[in-house]
Amino acid sequence: MIEIPTHHKKVTDLHPEEGIAPGSALCAGCGGLEGIRLALKELGDNVHISNAAGCFTLLSIYPFTPFKGSWLYTTMAAPVPAAQGVRDALDIKRSQGKLAEEDDFQVMVVAGDGSSADMGLSPTSAAIHRNLDFIYFCYDNEAYGNTGFQLSGSSPYGSRTQTTPVTQAHPAGAERPKKDLFQIWKSQNPSYIATVSPREPIDLSNKFAKAKTLKGPRLFICLSPCPTGWGFDPKDTHTIAKLAVDTGIFPLKEYVDGQVVHTRVPRKRIPVEKYLEHQKRFRHLFEPTRQNDLIQKIQEDVDRYWEHSS
Amino acid sequence: MLRIRLHGRGGQGIKTASQILGTAAFLSGYQAQDFPLYGAERRGAPIIAFSRINSDPILERGPILLPDLLLIADETLLEDAQAAPLCGSDSETVVFVNSAKTPENLKEKFSLPSLPVTCKLTELCLKHLKNGMLRSTALAAAGVRLTGLIPFENLMESVEIELEAMGITGQPLKNNLELAQEIFEKLNPRTIKDREERPLSPTKLMIMEQRDVKDAAPFITATGNMAQRKTGNWRIHRPEIDYGECNHCMICYARCPEGVITMDTEGKPVIDYDHCKGCMICAQECPKHSIKTLWEMDHELEPQ
Repeated sequence: MIEIPTHHKKVTDLHPEEGIAPGSALCAGCGGLEGIRLALKELGDNVHISNAAGCFTLLSIYPFTPFKGSWLYTTMAAPVPAAQGVRDALDIKRSQGKLAEEDDFQVMVVAGDGSSADMGLSPTSAAIHRNLDFIYFCYDNEAYGNTGFQLSGSSPYGSRTQTTPVTQAHPAGAERPKKDLFQIWKSQNPSYIATVSPREPIDLSNKFAKAKTLKGPRLFICLSPCPTGWGFDPKDTHTIAKLAVDTGIFPLKEYVDGQVVHTRVPRKRIPVEKYLEHQKRFRHLFEPTRQNDLIQKIQEDVDRYWEHSS
Repeated sequence: MLRIRLHGRGGQGIKTASQILGTAAFLSGYQAQDFPLYGAERRGAPIIAFSRINSDPILERGPILLPDLLLIADETLLEDAQAAPLCGSDSETVVFVNSAKTPENLKEKFSLPSLPVTCKLTELCLKHLKNGMLRSTALAAAGVRLTGLIPFENLMESVEIELEAMGITGQPLKNNLELAQEIFEKLNPRTIKDREERPLSPTKLMIMEQRDVKDAAPFITATGNMAQRKTGNWRIHRPEIDYGECNHCMICYARCPEGVITMDTEGKPVIDYDHCKGCMICAQECPKHSIKTLWEMDHELEPQ
């Protein structure tokens, strides 16, 4: 048995065993895959994953699975009800003495932002209300990535998607701000909420280590840079993930005991355009003519967020 | 009718190549069809696209099983049993391979049915586009030239139409046109035999039977067996660790999304090339820059 450090300080503290076997059909350089890989390193093998349809459908393709634990595939709206069923069944087995504590599973929902912020929101809200004991891992690539990158409730203002093309009448692309899933969950006062970045493995692992000790609904929002949909070279996944944090666009924070704490505050936030200019989905903000008003609006939204949270 | 099948990898522009081919043929007065075929796979995974060119209306539908011309954008596919780019070809099929190897060398190494036509497209793409991956224009230009049916001006116009539709204009478009011109001038038309159209035979309608729910929603009881699927052949670039420089910081191990970098007993990082998809995150993230980026096929050629 390998001793897992309860508090991580450096990358060599990460659990050396991989929770996900290689060979999946996910894109090379997938930011979400790195997120769930690090999460499972911390959570161990006894995890039941209830997986909503989405990019991560490709994780497990019959007759292959990359997981050591259990995996159940659901429709986009139903991963949480499925998790409820599994949790209930495990609880019944436990109460009948047919399942030892060490054989019990941590029930985890894995879903993309389309499922989390749009289609599956209603049953999720109901499950939080019932205080279902589960972890929710949302890999947020800010669109319906698996079907060719269509707008989701999580697509940010000013981004181009398949269904929000940039036209003369719509120079911004997506014209509505990103849904704040963190706030939506927070309004129901669950046990734990955290945002995590694949570029911050220590922060991510410590948050999972903390969540592991808690019960009830626990949400993780993992910003998942998507080379294919966002339009950048796969090798730059971590560069983009780092810029998202350093520009303040993606704040790393957690909610526990009714308090929101920022786990990493960029000392001096770099301008948002450094993050935007690397990605094809924001290219129209710079070419053929620079749309200063749109870039400025994105910057102001970020500045306002940090003003209000400090 | 000319049946052209294009093979490449996700991200190389194979679908666009088939479109450029189709449009160029259409502009030259032919009827044309072009379409891609791919499943759930993503970047780096084998992709197929098709173009049919004919002077009469094309009634044939579906994938091309017996190609007259094969355009292979990535040499690594020749070794890939799943991609099987040579499937359905015979000694009369004209095979084009993007490769730095000689035709004789390729024929022997991969047991090709005939001597292939080769051209160093990757090198030319690097020269004109500063990117060896974007092979749509290059592959289409090679295809257009080999058919001998399409005049140069129509190739140019087609590249313009298709790339502009994707938002590629200005200098990048100009670079693509220069690339197309160089390839058009480099290659010569081949005699491609017009084959008899094979009549389609009707197949029997399959009656679906009611099956147990367990058959429809099967269980996998093995754990972690995904590793049996090898994704190493997705690689276009190859990361190689310079152990002389490496200080075992293990950043590469922490950053690899596939989890294919492990620590050996001495604490050194080791790359599992059977599964590494070649995203090159490790090379980008290595603080000491001690992971080199090489071409998978032509190690001597250092990409930019």
